[in-house]
Amino acid sequence: MNKFNVKKIMKKRKLILLLIFLATATISYSQATLKGEVKDNTNELIFGVSVIIKGTTIGVTTDFDGIYKFNKEIPANAVLVFSYLGMKTKEVTVNGRKVINLILEEDSEQLDEIVVVGYGSQVKKDITGSVSTVKAETLESRGNSQLGSLLQGQATGVQVLSSSGKPSQGFSVRIRGTNSINAGSEPLYVVDGVPTTDTRSINPSDIDAVTILKDASSTSIYGAQGANGVVLITTKKGKTSKPLITFDTYTGFSQVWKTLPVLNGEQYRDLMTELGLNTNWGNFTATTDWQNKIFQSGLSKNFQLSVSGKSEKTNYYVSAGYTSQIGAVRSSELGRANFKINLDQEINDWLKVGSRIAYTSYRDVDINDNNNVNAGGVLLGALTTPSIIDVFNDDGSYTSNPFQNWENPFASTDGTQREYNSQRFLGNLYLEAKFLQNFTYKVNLGVDNFNGIYDSFLDPTRTGYGRAIKGQSINSTNSTKFYIIENTLSYKKDFSKHKVEGLIGAVTQKFLWENSSIETRNFATESVTTPNGGSEIFNASATKSEKANASFISRINYGFNDKYLLTANLRVDGSSIFGPKNRWGYFPSFSAGWRISNEDFMKNVSFINDLKLRAGWGLVGNDQITNYAYLGRVGSGANYPFGGAAQPGTFPASIENLKLKWEESAQTNIGLDVSMLDNKINLTIDAYVKNTKDLLLNAPLPTSSGFNNAIQNIGELQNKGLEFSINTKNIDNENLKWNTNFNISFNENEVINLVGQELFQGGIAGGRGEASLVREGESLGILYGYIFGGVDPQTGNAYYVDKNGNSTFTPTSEDRTIIGDANADFIYGFSNSISYKGINLSVLLEGSQGNDMLNATRIELEGMSDPKNQSTSVLNRWRQPGDITNIPRASFGNTDNSRISTRFIEDASYMRVKAITLGYDLPKSIIKKLNINSIRIYATGENLFTFTNYSGLDPEVNAFGGSNTVRGIDFGTYPQTRNILLGASFKF
Amino acid sequence: MKINKLTILVLFQLIFLSSCEDYLDLSPISEETSGNAYETKNQIEAALVGAYESFQSSEYYVWDNILFQDVRSDNNYAGGDNPEIFQIDLLNITPTHSRLFTHWSNIYNAISKANLVIERVDLITDPTLTDERKKQIRGEALFLRAYHYFTLVKLWGGVPLVTNTIVSTNAEDVNIARASIDEVYTQILEDLETAVTLLPDTYGNDASINKARATSGAANALAAKAEIQRPTPNYTKVLSFINAVEKSQANYQLIDFPKLFDSNNYNNAESIIEIQYLGGNEGNFGPQLLLPPSISGDSWRKFVTPSVNAVKAFDDEGDLIRKNASILFESVNWVDEYWGNTSGSSIPFAYKWKNASGWASADRQYLLRLGDIILIKAEALNESDQLNLAVVEVNKIRNRVSLPNLIQAQHSSKEVLRNTILKERRLELFLEGQRWDDLVRNNQVMSTMNSLTEIDLRTGNPVNYNMTEAKKLLPIPQQELDRNPALVQNPL
Repeated sequence: MNKFNVKKIMKKRKLILLLIFLATATISYSQATLKGEVKDNTNELIFGVSVIIKGTTIGVTTDFDGIYKFNKEIPANAVLVFSYLGMKTKEVTVNGRKVINLILEEDSEQLDEIVVVGYGSQVKKDITGSVSTVKAETLESRGNSQLGSLLQGQATGVQVLSSSGKPSQGFSVRIRGTNSINAGSEPLYVVDGVPTTDTRSINPSDIDAVTILKDASSTSIYGAQGANGVVLITTKKGKTSKPLITFDTYTGFSQVWKTLPVLNGEQYRDLMTELGLNTNWGNFTATTDWQNKIFQSGLSKNFQLSVSGKSEKTNYYVSAGYTSQIGAVRSSELGRANFKINLDQEINDWLKVGSRIAYTSYRDVDINDNNNVNAGGVLLGALTTPSIIDVFNDDGSYTSNPFQNWENPFASTDGTQREYNSQRFLGNLYLEAKFLQNFTYKVNLGVDNFNGIYDSFLDPTRTGYGRAIKGQSINSTNSTKFYIIENTLSYKKDFSKHKVEGLIGAVTQKFLWENSSIETRNFATESVTTPNGGSEIFNASATKSEKANASFISRINYGFNDKYLLTANLRVDGSSIFGPKNRWGYFPSFSAGWRISNEDFMKNVSFINDLKLRAGWGLVGNDQITNYAYLGRVGSGANYPFGGAAQPGTFPASIENLKLKWEESAQTNIGLDVSMLDNKINLTIDAYVKNTKDLLLNAPLPTSSGFNNAIQNIGELQNKGLEFSINTKNIDNENLKWNTNFNISFNENEVINLVGQELFQGGIAGGRGEASLVREGESLGILYGYIFGGVDPQTGNAYYVDKNGNSTFTPTSEDRTIIGDANADFIYGFSNSISYKGINLSVLLEGSQGNDMLNATRIELEGMSDPKNQSTSVLNRWRQPGDITNIPRASFGNTDNSRISTRFIEDASYMRVKAITLGYDLPKSIIKKLNINSIRIYATGENLFTFTNYSGLDPEVNAFGGSNTVRGIDFGTYPQTRNILLGASFKF
Repeated sequence: MKINKLTILVLFQLIFLSSCEDYLDLSPISEETSGNAYETKNQIEAALVGAYESFQSSEYYVWDNILFQDVRSDNNYAGGDNPEIFQIDLLNITPTHSRLFTHWSNIYNAISKANLVIERVDLITDPTLTDERKKQIRGEALFLRAYHYFTLVKLWGGVPLVTNTIVSTNAEDVNIARASIDEVYTQILEDLETAVTLLPDTYGNDASINKARATSGAANALAAKAEIQRPTPNYTKVLSFINAVEKSQANYQLIDFPKLFDSNNYNNAESIIEIQYLGGNEGNFGPQLLLPPSISGDSWRKFVTPSVNAVKAFDDEGDLIRKNASILFESVNWVDEYWGNTSGSSIPFAYKWKNASGWASADRQYLLRLGDIILIKAEALNESDQLNLAVVEVNKIRNRVSLPNLIQAQHSSKEVLRNTILKERRLELFLEGQRWDDLVRNNQVMSTMNSLTEIDLRTGNPVNYNMTEAKKLLPIPQQELDRNPALVQNPL
């Protein structure tokens, strides 16, 4: 967009805002002519009940106290229609009364459910895009410190990638596959209107509902940030006039569910002798079970207290929570304290303000995983450290491998004192003004301030590295300051059969990141652990960077006769990431819905309650790449000494690319919603195709250019898939209820075009090359390597199949081929909840089918090329000519027998009983005496059973975390654990 | 009242949004850009410092030159625990060897930094940048570019010749084919001959600048080494370059051999140019990898173990001074497959670097020193049939380590003297990243490697190095081939 056009839009905006201003100033008020309060059958007042005079469009809604008021004269014979989502609609004749109070009854019908969507909310039946919701009941049914675990298996098209079982891991989510190669692929999280990234600090107990926007027609209102889907998180608010106090607590125990058998001391000695290694074996007589030492019983504790309620014109929710977790791997920890204040205040009939404030204090102690013992990896350390050494030498230092100074895993878990602490303030303030009956103006100011500090101290005595550098202390901080300002004007009007909603707005956002780090060395003692104790400043640096976005949004919803629904969006997005020529992107979307069940010809089909066909198309963008990406950046710090002192030096860090522009993803979605048999069966089916083009690819360059890569708009990706979700109420009577949800998602990913480039990634230790490839015509996440032929009975060497199909001992790099695919054919979740009187049981099964894993842990455990301890499978190794086996001979310093090959590819499909929860609501008769509203006690088992053929510690891992392209590699990754939780929740 | 507040808020928003385009036009805070980073004298000096910094940040110049020169040849074993270094030792280097790509890309990055300075320096209009300094800066950058191309051409043969900065990512601009070996040498010598005219002999009296920056002495010395290494050397030119080195105002002198490596004489009179390390955050991590437990404090197996054959070469010559300055024997608790297959054996360690200093040593590698150049001179004299003059040069090197003059049998013919000089270079320049090039230049690498007898004590059998003509050059890194379709692999 050129400057001229921007100014034009600006001018229009000014006019509109002026109009709002004038309009708000001229509103007048009158006395109520008819009023009343509306309650539910538990005698709680209900907010937001719509009260309409039948046959007209005149209506009001109840306020926070459940009170409605009409200011106009109401005809004496008028009929009032009271409606509220989840409640049965009631009609009442006025008969000249001035006060009408009413009790609404619950309705099992779910179609009127209100769903939070981008910049507003919609009745579910009117939604034309593809949207999944997860409600508080699901989140509350079991205790968990992480939102991600609670989302897993709950919604179609949503894949929660748990790359490890570490308490501090966080989680990675893919909505309908991976859309990009280098740009970010995480969905946008919006907490009460404020976009955020780090989801570890979100307290699941404060969440009221999660809405997942999956297709372009629902996400394009978020334009640039919506390409990977949007997760809208709405936190709780007060629902009753009597303050509701809740207290929840649980205690959990966790442990790894599997260990791997490794060689004992004698077997290790045999193997070392075969490798030609000899030592004074009499000095090594310990029998240490390293897995037993490193894996421990984890313990977690959680306490949550909240008070919520509403009075007059105020609605509030305040909460405090504390979670602590000791992991199942020695020394891993997590602690989190949360505070939350939600407040809404009606200032008068037309003006409302509110705020959502969350403060989180977070702490964790991380574990070095995804590394081999050479690099201090704890998991591989526990597996490859021979049993014949103890933990400590006589002088208190850590022991190491008899042949190499690979220290035992305690050097990694205990040798470095380390912790990460962060504080986050996430909050917003909004002001909402209604005017001219149908217009609402809203301004929302949000901030997300985050400060993290990482401290580590390596003492100068116990580890080899610590001794060499005489101790090391690092203190690094990172802070993010983010603000967002949104102005929206919405319009809503129903004319007889027409329903029109419109929205326009402007959004500005800005990030400021600040990082600093100091490292000192040379410590006299371990009693001072902060950098001031070291005599030598080894590194001290600090940097800052910024990013800004400005956007204009607009949307129109139109419904006719409750049958035909149309939605159109346009978002214009500007980003500081791109140069002046291509700074602005235009992201439109269109979608339509047809409620077939409301057609006359369906009137007689009584078993169908609702049938809606949806279709949509839209364009969304992505700018999640390095800041200032279009500029040729010149870095500092390439210093070099002249005259005995370091002089400042610079280096070109990137190639200027003024043509750089938005990555665009065009998405088409077709969906069907069906409710049948008195709403007992709800079925949703969606099919989609997403084409992403002009990928922001950090494409490798020939390094003779002086650069390793450059961000360019190269290539095209496609994701297509099918999603099915079915909810059924199998039994629903007063005492016994049984609900089932089954969801299954198929996604197919393909790299359509990469201008002939191939990207090799995922190098794993030991110089065996890269294990992952991005190639045209293939999906992201394919595994690459040699084809293992077998073991030559004569020499004991592994042979491979070359590109011509011949066997060879010395394959060349051209003989590598695709050996696996880490993408699942489908993922699924199956949950059942049964309640009988006060007892409830829910079972969640979750699984992934057809995905391969490169078990690189086995390369470390079966390589037999160095003095690492190995797994017991090497007992079958080749030892003498004539041996027929598939484990090659031991060969010191030689990796030819353990190349990345089909030998280490395994089927990592799994089905696991993700969670079983058994709960009991104590009978009212007992608890009434204690002045308590309700008490629920429950026990949850997580990952109790896992069905898989995968031989590693756990199939749900990835050494490369949430990487877009490198998936399905297990390299000593912290496994998912088996957890037992015992909890109770009290309501006062 | 409330309305007023709303008005203020709305107006605030309007003012805020009306500067929308400015709002999005952000410049880096902690970085410069190609548009503003090369305008002043200090900025171009910083770019030049950045170009020199490649000597520290490219692992090839830290210690991999020892791996590819001394370990690959007959001087040292891999030692340590790294499979890829064993592959270098055993001459099993495949195109996917990760160190190949690391060095290729690091060295080309160094070249791009030099190219940038060469391109930009003449565009600087800052009046504080004198014409004299402008010339020097250009000369320094030309020297650096030549140094790196010399490294590349020795490792890989003909390589893509990039002499300008790359500003576009278009395939035709970045997919550059290999030049011939001769073209690369021609470029190197052209750059150096220009640099000689631009560079001073010294920058004053501060040795820590004179031995840090490129000088005309350094350019001449490098030109001599490049000319003699190229496939068809012009020995007259080699000698004239060396003559210029000897005549330099810098007054290069041989010093007492042990002082070259005792860590108390950095930037000494013999040094022509050396990599500058100060320790601490300007430290060299290399020495920690090599030095024995008594010095490094480590108990793990060290890299670059001197070979039986190399230790014998010192012993056969009775060369105690250079042996003691280069090798240290120590009993260790690990086993070594060549020196002692039981723990507690006495094993030699690479010892030209003396201080580990917790991975941050101030010990350096000489990029060029006079001792090397004098032996190059001897070589050139011998090749131009001036044997007696050559012997004089060799004796200079021998006498300072208390070895007698060469006897007749050691220079009875050109061929004999050629071998004598090669042997002398081995003892003189052990662990200084010269050996493989010396063997290749003298056409001795095939015979030396294939007649080498190194017994692996685990099997009792000699190692088969299986040296072939193709292995003289390294394979072009596979990752680079994957990125650049214009490249052709070396014979494997």
